[in-house]
Amino acid sequence: MTDDRDNPHLKTLQQQLADGRMDRREFIRYACLVGVSAASAYALAGVPMATPAKAQAAKGGTLRIGTRVKEIKSPHTYSWGGYDSNISRQVLEYLTFTDEKGVTRPYLFEKWTVSPDLKTWTFNVRKGVKWSNGQDLTADHIVWNLKRVLDPAVGSSMIGLVKGYLLDDVTVDGKPSTKIWSDNAVEKVDDYTVRLNCKTPQVAVPEHLFHYPMAIMHPDSKGVFEVGSVGTGPYQLTEFELGKKAVLKARKDYWGGPVAIDTVEQIDVGDDASAAIAALASKQIDGLVFADPGQYDALKALPHLSFYSVPTAETGVIRMRCDQKPFDNPKVRKAMRLAVDQDVVLKVALHGLGIIGEHHHCSPAHPDYAKLEPFKRDVAAAKKLLAEAGYPNGISSELIVPNDQAWFQSQAEACIEMWKDAGINIKLSPMPGAAYWDVWTKVPMGTTIWYHRPLAIMCLGLAYRTGVPWNESGYSNKEFDQLLTEAEGTLDIDKRKETVAKLEKILQEDGPLVQPVFRSAFTFMDKRVKGFSMHPTNYIFAWKLSVDA
Amino acid sequence: MGRFIFKRAASLVLTLFAASFLVFAVTEFSPSNVARKTLGPFALQSQVDILYQKLGLHDPLAVRYSRWLGVLLGLKADPLQDPALGLQFKDPRGDKYFGNFGYSTLYKAPVNDVIWGRLKATAALAGIAFALIVPLSLVLGVLAGMREGSGLDRTISIFGIVATSVPEFASGVFLVALFVVGLGWLPGTSPLDAGSGWPIWTQMVLPVAVLVLYDSGYVVRMVRGSMAEVMNKPYIRTAILKGLPMREVVVRHAVRNAMIAPFTVILLQINFLISGVVVTEMVFAYPGFGRMILDASLFGDIALIEAATLIALTIAILTQLVSDVGYAFLNPQIRLA
Repeated sequence: MTDDRDNPHLKTLQQQLADGRMDRREFIRYACLVGVSAASAYALAGVPMATPAKAQAAKGGTLRIGTRVKEIKSPHTYSWGGYDSNISRQVLEYLTFTDEKGVTRPYLFEKWTVSPDLKTWTFNVRKGVKWSNGQDLTADHIVWNLKRVLDPAVGSSMIGLVKGYLLDDVTVDGKPSTKIWSDNAVEKVDDYTVRLNCKTPQVAVPEHLFHYPMAIMHPDSKGVFEVGSVGTGPYQLTEFELGKKAVLKARKDYWGGPVAIDTVEQIDVGDDASAAIAALASKQIDGLVFADPGQYDALKALPHLSFYSVPTAETGVIRMRCDQKPFDNPKVRKAMRLAVDQDVVLKVALHGLGIIGEHHHCSPAHPDYAKLEPFKRDVAAAKKLLAEAGYPNGISSELIVPNDQAWFQSQAEACIEMWKDAGINIKLSPMPGAAYWDVWTKVPMGTTIWYHRPLAIMCLGLAYRTGVPWNESGYSNKEFDQLLTEAEGTLDIDKRKETVAKLEKILQEDGPLVQPVFRSAFTFMDKRVKGFSMHPTNYIFAWKLSVDA
Repeated sequence: MGRFIFKRAASLVLTLFAASFLVFAVTEFSPSNVARKTLGPFALQSQVDILYQKLGLHDPLAVRYSRWLGVLLGLKADPLQDPALGLQFKDPRGDKYFGNFGYSTLYKAPVNDVIWGRLKATAALAGIAFALIVPLSLVLGVLAGMREGSGLDRTISIFGIVATSVPEFASGVFLVALFVVGLGWLPGTSPLDAGSGWPIWTQMVLPVAVLVLYDSGYVVRMVRGSMAEVMNKPYIRTAILKGLPMREVVVRHAVRNAMIAPFTVILLQINFLISGVVVTEMVFAYPGFGRMILDASLFGDIALIEAATLIALTIAILTQLVSDVGYAFLNPQIRLA
């Protein structure tokens, strides 16, 4: 506790808690982020700390999870999260750990401190962590990983996340690129200490380190993950067949102690929703990484399954390319939003299993969400905006919808019907999920899955900041970029929410998206699986689980 | 006969050549390119451009096609396996050998490592289905066609029409609801992995049942039509009138002649069972050839699409050849030349 009491940010946070400007959940989350231990944070908030569900039941056994077994070779450039990283996650660990309640805790980093200006983050590497090849984990290994994901030649989406505080924009051969803002930005202090020297204040650094491409790999791997790869995690990948299955076997010498489940199998159940239901019904698999609303009724009827859910910021963003007609006009984009009633979409597409969105990608599940005036459907206003934009007779376009998320199609159908009332004629074009990722940044209008991130500013930084790899709409707004950087460097919750409110307003007025709902993450697991809780990002932590024989 | 087979073999090679070129040309129109697919959606454009150059993708279509053909015939080394590219594409057979289908950009493995296992899985499914479809269709078709318009004929005909009209995905879901969810007798998917406690043979039952239902309905109708036509021929009437028992008439005179037309149809089912079973494979998550072709097409994995096309085409032409020879055997009036 002595260390925690010295934390320069603790007083500010405690004052905000005492003044009622921050609730207990927010206090715990922020206190952990700035390096206060979880035990102290819970104690100071007056909340009993839930002990992590430990696998105390039967030892041994096999867990079989239904998923899509996709390409896994390059963890630093993963783009699927719920699929690929759930295989490597059992082998390659992360520097921090954000739990299902959104609290970020130590993992390979044992503890950390941050300077009062939120620019200098000093992390202590956990001692005693062994790679599966017997070597000790040291600061050198971590620095190699951090520098690798920041190398634009690698193409990691971490660049979008940390660009604001660790990278500078540069031009290489006439093309925009990035480089680390200072040679000292990623610094090895000693064998067990790493420091990040940021150019701007940033409060969410520990949460960023849990983003799924930030898996810690052994430098000898050269960034390639495959059968037999060295990792610090509790399992080793022993078998992998793309489109079929991945098999992971428990390590005997894991630094975190023995795990309950001997073998984890991830089985490809394809894109057909009925195949997953059939596999669960016949107990060929013990659970799904995540389930779809279309599967809910059928799975709920199976008595041997338990239902798990958690509210999230996962959403299907209907995004418009800002450099293609007619969406190059902000009035058209706003009209698209005004013509949609979010409640209808929630009922039709998600059977009520979610919450309504307000077209700015910040969810009430985010602690930095700011509540604005309700965004209501207004067809007359939408028509007026279209007329002002030079489209008095309405517009026509095509909406591409990947078919691997069944509810996207229902969402699109509901929106298309409502758009018609405002003279907006949109043609629905379903596309196989795999093919969509070739065109997701190119088509004039598409529906893209955005998984949950623990903070709203993380979503905004990945998807809407000028020039970042995942800015699929080509959106560029200087004021937005500046406010986002400002929000990322603000610890004071009120000030930060004020800035986030401005960001949300900009997206509602000018943004490139129609975003009517957030879905709850949910899944079904066999009752014999113990210790499971749904993570908002659909992550599976096999070391937490056990299976009854 | 020898001359006929030689001519057919020559036309097989020509057809394969033309089809492979056509597939190459058509794939040109698919969005994105192999360099982007290889490096993933988040690689920088400059990286993609470098790889695009190294792979020679700037070359005209004809040049690229001849290079692919050269790799296939073992005359050229596969450019994707060049260690300088840093793709870590390695083929234990080497980079230059006859039958080198190249490297799959989707599976990140040599096509020869991917395709044969998938083909074997589908061949097993197709083989069992075929072994059931043929006798079932023949028996039902002959029984129905023997007495056109009878109660038995109507019953079998209605079964045939219903079975063929119900799409595979619908019969798949129906059978799953009945035998998996309702009765709990069978597994719901077919990953061909015994780890879940269901033996592999049990995993074959439902996909085979779907294929047999769907396909035999059609073949039964063909056999029935042919049988009914033969039963109206003057020589059958003569056989009946001269006092032969009905069983003799059907077995000795009708069946052989009634088989001539359906014979080709039956053999054509092999093509359907190898490359047309994609729906069944999707419904049961069966790791087969059809699902692989679908995935490869969606990804634009040209090497895998080409290999699958050539294999499917070879099977189609060979079954055609067998059907022509068999046709001549069944009907001596046909002379092959």
